[in-house]
Amino acid sequence: MMNCSNKGFKFISIFLVSLLVLSTLSGCGKKQPAAAGSSDTGAGIKVTYPMKTNVALKYWWNWSNQYAKSLNEAPIAKELQKKTGIKVTYINPGASTAGDAFNLMLASGDLPDIIEWNWAGFPGGPEKAMNDGYIIKLNDIINKYAPNLKAYYAANPDREKMVKTDSGNFYNFPFFREDEMQLAWYGPIMRQDWLDDLGLQVPTTMDEWHDTLKAFKEKKGATAPLTVDSGLWYFQVGAFAGAYGVKKDFYLENGKVTYGPIQPGYKEFLAAMKEWYSEGLLDKNFSTSDGKIVNANMTSGKSGASLGGSGGGLGAWMQTMKDKDPKYKLVGTPYPVLNKGDRAKFGQRDPYGNSDGAAITTKCKNVEIAARYLDYPYSKEGHMVANFGIEGESYKMVNGEPQYTDIITNNPNKLTRTDALNLYTLIRGSGPAEQDKRLVQCESGSPEQLAAKNNWKNTDQAKHDIQYICFTQQESSDMAKIMADVNTLVNEMTIKFIMGTTPLDDFDKFVKQIKDFGIDKAISIEQAAVDRYNKR
Amino acid sequence: MMNQKNLKIQSPKNEYETYHMSTRKAGVIQNIKKDFKANRELYYISFIIIAYYLIFCYKPMLGAVIAFKDYVPMKGIWKSQWVGFKYFRDFFQSPYFVRLIRNTIWLSLNSLIFGFPAPIILALLINEIGNKFFKRSIQTITYLPHFISMVVICGIIKDFTSDTGVINYFISALGGKPVTMLSVPKLFMPVYVISGIWQEVGWGSIIYLAALTGIDPQLYEASYMDGANRWKQTIYITLPGIAPTIIILFILRMGSLLNVGFEKILLLYNPGIYETADVISTYVYRKGLLEFNWGFSTAVGLLNSVINFFFLIAANTISRKVNDTSLW
Repeated sequence: MMNCSNKGFKFISIFLVSLLVLSTLSGCGKKQPAAAGSSDTGAGIKVTYPMKTNVALKYWWNWSNQYAKSLNEAPIAKELQKKTGIKVTYINPGASTAGDAFNLMLASGDLPDIIEWNWAGFPGGPEKAMNDGYIIKLNDIINKYAPNLKAYYAANPDREKMVKTDSGNFYNFPFFREDEMQLAWYGPIMRQDWLDDLGLQVPTTMDEWHDTLKAFKEKKGATAPLTVDSGLWYFQVGAFAGAYGVKKDFYLENGKVTYGPIQPGYKEFLAAMKEWYSEGLLDKNFSTSDGKIVNANMTSGKSGASLGGSGGGLGAWMQTMKDKDPKYKLVGTPYPVLNKGDRAKFGQRDPYGNSDGAAITTKCKNVEIAARYLDYPYSKEGHMVANFGIEGESYKMVNGEPQYTDIITNNPNKLTRTDALNLYTLIRGSGPAEQDKRLVQCESGSPEQLAAKNNWKNTDQAKHDIQYICFTQQESSDMAKIMADVNTLVNEMTIKFIMGTTPLDDFDKFVKQIKDFGIDKAISIEQAAVDRYNKR
Repeated sequence: MMNQKNLKIQSPKNEYETYHMSTRKAGVIQNIKKDFKANRELYYISFIIIAYYLIFCYKPMLGAVIAFKDYVPMKGIWKSQWVGFKYFRDFFQSPYFVRLIRNTIWLSLNSLIFGFPAPIILALLINEIGNKFFKRSIQTITYLPHFISMVVICGIIKDFTSDTGVINYFISALGGKPVTMLSVPKLFMPVYVISGIWQEVGWGSIIYLAALTGIDPQLYEASYMDGANRWKQTIYITLPGIAPTIIILFILRMGSLLNVGFEKILLLYNPGIYETADVISTYVYRKGLLEFNWGFSTAVGLLNSVINFFFLIAANTISRKVNDTSLW
């Protein structure tokens, strides 16, 4: 049984044991203090691209595209590398697992040089991300190495205000939108061809919606005339609830922070939804539906109305049905109101600048190069690359105006515009640069998409908007604690009231419970943060 | 060579006992030294195994200390601030605490009561089948769902239980009223438990089938001679034959009583049925992990493990007292 020589065996055991011990020790010793500074050249503001450097950067970005495994394969990344002279390896986690991947990355402490993320979504906000030592403060860095972004801030002080913290700290190279028309991209969508068949107008009031949905059910055989998913995000945006002057979220009422679900209007809204549900106008399965089911409902004739984005919803559904049903046509309807002629109080509206953007981590060894790379898209030349891609390939100049080529507008490989733009441009909802209006116009190429955006932007949302505000550490931990319970309750009860599982008479109990959970404190925290924002 | 080895192991053990009687401390150390000299190779081999457990099983357990800390990964575990029992207090004071505990125990208890006997019954039934081909087919079909990804399984369950799904089709055919089952709070438990049985019954029966082959066929022959029918044989021979397996598996199952299928619930539930479907782990997921509150999640996980640990000990002790089968 023991054929191996004793000596050799001993040696192997000792070797293995010491290997194990060593591996643990080295595992512990891995935590080195991050190199804070960089090889500061102290050089002036300007730098000529492409730079001569052999520094390689790692850039984490939640970017996904079915036509490329990672951003590294996309033409835009290669073009940027060529133009800036800086070698960048992108790390893409894949959309569905992005949150988990981000969480794991932070927990492991193994950070790349640059992370692209919505930093307001970081618990405790960007200020905590800096304090905890994940990302670095950029004030000096922007001064020294990011002349283009600095110039952009100088020209747009109100946008600068949106992307810094209360204490005046900059934490990322943000994503900006150029024009008003880019802000609204989500809203109610309806079957135009059904409306035409039935000789109906596009509904604008809740009553008209009711009648239209009823007609869809009775005359078009829709089993779930209005289909929505159980995420209830559309109530947060203000669809339907907005008609009663509330939404399922915090908002401003004459400068004062208000929380929708505890307002009397919310009860009226629930009553209306309950009626729609009991009449079979609202999808009977809405509490169990997800995005996939909504997509299936909208493209199978089961449903005639829903909510969605201009690209991902309206555009995608029409694209799916193009060959199957040539008559299939959708319309983005205005957010419904109570009385004819009213202007909708709420709707979806993104700010010009938000907390999405590229932050430099504490693990970055060469901050200057990282900053230079991220600053490039804010330059004139960089703006063209970021928004239009490669000259001669994805766009050409006609009379001094950039014009997308067939690669984008009529892709030979049958890519949709959205997918093609994804490969040839940098900024698709996030990314360090300003998104050009012309890019969005090209993407929402169909007249239906543009019309939908025009309908959706026509709201008073701007007056009620709460900007990307910052909480202090204490505030954010209080908020998290209160809102986790409140959100659970509101989501649960909203569905139960609509389905009639809980009678609407219990609404007062529901409000009382939200108050018991500490909503007043949450409101005052929001208010304080809003006040600080206004003082910035 | 084998004999020699055995002798070597034996002798110091006897010495140890004599030392043990007289001088305790010095005795043990001296003894180990002596034993070490005699059985070097064995010690080296065991070091590897001990090191493996220390490094991969015990060292990570130190991480549980973040249940008492405001853990910031960039600061590391030891430099993060202590918060004492804050997370435990938060959890106990949560307005949903009672509901979460109730749902967790209710779901796992029902899975245990209905889910645990199912594979045993299936194994007994399969055992009675004579036709080999039929037997194999049944086995294959029943354990197939075990290999399907949870996401797909939950998609199937959602489809089947929707108001236009297969199950409702039969219900309405029989004159019932179709209803989206996953939107009715009181139906979540049956859906969860029954689908769980469907998923795991075939897979779970494999081990019992294996145990069944270990029963001496002479027993059956003898009982047949004595006039026992199939039913009597099952009661007096088959069941007692696989009883040790059943008990061991039951004890192990007790050790995870509070671990309900987190993934499955997360994929199946919706706010409308939080009332009966929200369990500790899904709540922790919503509150802890989505907020990067690692400390909170760890605290609840730790609490969960401690309770499970006590269930395991209790089940084992009871089993040892009542009949002689136990894990230790």
